[in-house]
Amino acid sequence: MSNLVFLVPLFPLLGFLINGLFRKSLSKPMIGVIGCGALLASFVVSAILFGNVAAANRLHPGQPIPATVLFDFINVSSFKIQFAFLADQLSCLFLLIITGIGFLIHLYSTSYMHEEPTEHYGRYFAYLNLFVFSMLLLVLGANYLVMFIGWEGVGLCSYLLIGFWFKNDNYNYAAKKAFVMNRIGDLGFLLAMFWLLAKLGTVDYNQVFAKTALLSKTDITAITLLFFVGAAGKSAQIPLYTWLPDAMAGPTPVSALIHAATMVTAGIYMIARSNVLYSLAECTQHVIAIIGLATALFAATIAIKQNDIKKVLAYSTVSQLGYMFLGLGVGAYTGAVFHVMTHAFFKALLFLGAGSVIHAMHHEQDIRNMGGLKKYLPKTHLTFLLGCLAIAGIPPFSGFFSKDEILAAAYAHSPIYWGIGVATAALTAFYMFRLYATTFLGNFRGTHDQQHHLHESPAAMTIPLMVLALLSVSGGFAGVPEVLGGDHQLHGWLSGVITSEKTHHLEHSTEYLLMGVSVALAVLASVFAISRYSKKPELQEATGLGKVLQNKWYIDELYDAVIVKPLLKLADVLKNVVEKSGIDGIVNGVGKFVHYSSRQLRLLQSGLVGSYILVIVLSIVVLFLVFWNQSIILQFVQKIF
Amino acid sequence: MNAIILSAIWGVVLMFCSVLIKNKGVYRHIAALGLLVILAGNIHETYHGSFFNIDTHEMLRFSRFGLFFNTILLAATLLYVLLSGRDVEKAGGYVAEYFTLIFFVLCGASILTSFNTLLMLFIGIEILSIPLYILTGSDKRNLRSNEAALKYFLMGAFSTGILLMGIALVYGGTGSFMLEVPRSAIMGGYKGVSFLEVTGLLFLLVAMSFKVSAAPFHFWTPDVYDGAPSVFTSFMATIVKAAAFAAFLKLFEARVGDTSAAVDWKLLLSIIIVSTLLIGNVTAVFQQSVKRMLAYSSIAQAGFMLFAVFSLNDVAKEGLLLYATAYSLATIGVFAVLIKMKDVTFEGFNGLARKNPVLAATTTICLLSLAGIPLTAGFFAKFSMLSAVIKTGTYTWLVVVAVLFAAVSAYYYFRVIQAMYFKEGDAQTEEVTGGFKVLLIAVAALVILFGVQPQALLNWFYF
Repeated sequence: MSNLVFLVPLFPLLGFLINGLFRKSLSKPMIGVIGCGALLASFVVSAILFGNVAAANRLHPGQPIPATVLFDFINVSSFKIQFAFLADQLSCLFLLIITGIGFLIHLYSTSYMHEEPTEHYGRYFAYLNLFVFSMLLLVLGANYLVMFIGWEGVGLCSYLLIGFWFKNDNYNYAAKKAFVMNRIGDLGFLLAMFWLLAKLGTVDYNQVFAKTALLSKTDITAITLLFFVGAAGKSAQIPLYTWLPDAMAGPTPVSALIHAATMVTAGIYMIARSNVLYSLAECTQHVIAIIGLATALFAATIAIKQNDIKKVLAYSTVSQLGYMFLGLGVGAYTGAVFHVMTHAFFKALLFLGAGSVIHAMHHEQDIRNMGGLKKYLPKTHLTFLLGCLAIAGIPPFSGFFSKDEILAAAYAHSPIYWGIGVATAALTAFYMFRLYATTFLGNFRGTHDQQHHLHESPAAMTIPLMVLALLSVSGGFAGVPEVLGGDHQLHGWLSGVITSEKTHHLEHSTEYLLMGVSVALAVLASVFAISRYSKKPELQEATGLGKVLQNKWYIDELYDAVIVKPLLKLADVLKNVVEKSGIDGIVNGVGKFVHYSSRQLRLLQSGLVGSYILVIVLSIVVLFLVFWNQSIILQFVQKIF
Repeated sequence: MNAIILSAIWGVVLMFCSVLIKNKGVYRHIAALGLLVILAGNIHETYHGSFFNIDTHEMLRFSRFGLFFNTILLAATLLYVLLSGRDVEKAGGYVAEYFTLIFFVLCGASILTSFNTLLMLFIGIEILSIPLYILTGSDKRNLRSNEAALKYFLMGAFSTGILLMGIALVYGGTGSFMLEVPRSAIMGGYKGVSFLEVTGLLFLLVAMSFKVSAAPFHFWTPDVYDGAPSVFTSFMATIVKAAAFAAFLKLFEARVGDTSAAVDWKLLLSIIIVSTLLIGNVTAVFQQSVKRMLAYSSIAQAGFMLFAVFSLNDVAKEGLLLYATAYSLATIGVFAVLIKMKDVTFEGFNGLARKNPVLAATTTICLLSLAGIPLTAGFFAKFSMLSAVIKTGTYTWLVVVAVLFAAVSAYYYFRVIQAMYFKEGDAQTEEVTGGFKVLLIAVAALVILFGVQPQALLNWFYF
């Protein structure tokens, strides 16, 4: 049955090919059916695989799941890399998230993108399918190379989808920015992979993890750091995070699928997958924890002052990803994966909810022009509220459990980490409820025309919202910690893959205290935000620190001034000076010189036999002289050179 | 031996044909048949010995190299007759005689691949050259053809004088005409290299350089190639030149190789090579007529082939085989198309790709081979020449010079390609038959085959 694994990525690939090639001749409903059907089929197979792994887990606990080799990818003498898939506990979990949420978002898109012309509608679904295909390769690969193929694939799809409306230059710019930032990260990934190949001769997970003893401390630290550079690019961590908020230029379901639920979690997946390596590199773990924490706090502060509904969610994504990296950095790999799962639920929900709002408001994204939408969009409002509760970490919603697990592990590591983490959690609650209150509570502030057309979204959009809301509410029960009387099923499930989890033993009383503090802060922040923004939202331009936050700490401007502008200037010099006058000058000069010599040499050919013979005789004389004096000539030449 | 005798006989047969058969179209079929017979005879000789058993008193010696070279020359001539035989009929009124002369040239060429004394070298060169003077002037009513023939004859006579002078001096120095003379047998027991011998060899070098059109003895080449009917230019530029090179290499391998311990010939040869590459390549750049450009290109290619004479090692020998094949194939292909063109200037090729894609594509492949682009035979030919030089261990800078000039050569070869594919125009061609196109495609296929698998040719040489 494990041979079914190749079907999982195959369906989306077929969907991509069919929709991509026949986008002009297929009808819109047909495109929708193919796009969604591919994902549904993939989801069903994933569920079967999940069941298989569960059964195998029960029958032979602790036994690793074997990889499925499809073919030899590279086979040169002793160097061999197989194209193999590994559907174990970790990847099966991701398979379900990707195909499940992916399906819901596809379904949602059939309605959301309905205004597009058929051709672009087909293109959209083709890209989405290609994206899912790449993401599935990424998580299914049994070695780093296959993962890298998927890794590049999702980067490409992200580029294509951010720039989906390619007639808008700003969107193209955002797409390029995302691609370049991702490529910087990919370089780290590649170097790490080469390093592994150079030292171990293999990139296969099992072999690498079995051979870690052959690696020196320096090797492991460097490799893990380089992999982390890749992860920071893909998962939008400092300093490579600036592309993610800009990526909101794409259609909203894309933001939900790629920039919240799946692609950006690739970095976390990769590090969780390599947990054996990371646990051996203490230095790298510190770096990851600090960068994760800094990103979480930094992005949260920016989110407070954003007025674009999608931008708030984007920064919240960056912030939540920071949490996950904090978890990875302190060795709570399961906690990080757990947060990936719950975050996928509630962030997809929030983005789709935002999409529903934008849909109702006719592409209005500024929350200052909204307000009071509660009575116009009841279903969207309710599900959005549940999502906010989940992300804010209010028990018993899913975000509470996963965030709490990370925070507890952070406390065990260092109370300072915990302190910053809790502060960020409070900020999260604050900006999410600011968003909620400004959007749904109070009075409507849009134009009369907009008010007239306000409507709840169709069922194809609200059903995914409801499913996701259900998951956001209940998803946390997969990992109820011991202290609350659960047995943390996820922990047991992943124990076969995540073998180097750092276990911490906190007193139960301490854990209760930690939870109490974080929940109390979150509730306080939420209530404060609702009471402050529901009646009189912040409409005027921000000043002082608020302005700095609204402008995202001017990081984009800083990057522009320090990196982009000098690079452009250098390129300008290379193009105008080195290329135009230097290289072109040399090339053209040589050409002109040859042409000129040709014209002169041609004159030797006078057409007169007499002069020909004269030249021949003279040449013979010269050759004679040279020949009999060649030792002198050679000595002379040698003296010169 | 088979090739010498059979080609002489077949030449005579064709002479009688001109009396007995009035239909001009038949001659080229007889010629092709004759070439097949000679080719078969030559291949038979390579493996099983000659049909004829004549004591030549060691004046001729049939080596594997020589016989294999014959095969290449004969196969190239066969291809040439098949491709351009129809055009021979248009060159003038004496069609059978032209074919006769071609067979006599082949007879001379086969002597040049097997001579063992300087006398046979002289005879071979004369048998090779005299029919060419006639062929050059075959277009009797064309003033330029006459002028070319006269120039060729005058300068050819001059070079024959130098050749004979050289032979006489070598005889004076060593007391023997034989190609390989044991040093101990030299008159008077003088063990060193005498002044007379070296001077004689210098004259031989000049005479042979003249025949292969190496600078500064190349002057006849552009005028003669340009003035002669294109169909004979094709023959002269390929088969004749390759045969002259075989003789050049054979002579130098035996004689100069023998003296090289005492006398360094490399400086002189490198001067000749560099000036040949320079004049051939650079002058070709400015030409307006493709035909004249090809004449200079043949000088430039001769510069490359001279590396074989320069290096005098096994790689060089292999390289010359490969080079002769690659160069002859490609040049015959290009000339076959050129003959069909109404206008032989670069403008005349404008837009050929649209009008006749097969001709344009095959010409392109041949030109790419001449320029030495990888995946064509020309690349490996140039490559093996250069590696022969590197193997000698001296004068490696020559390789750099050669590569630079090869880059220059790309300019004028690509001009034709550019004209065919990228320029608007109305290229006029004569009628071409389907068979002609098929043959052209076969030539292009061979060029690519030897470019991908040069060993296919060389393995045959070694069996």
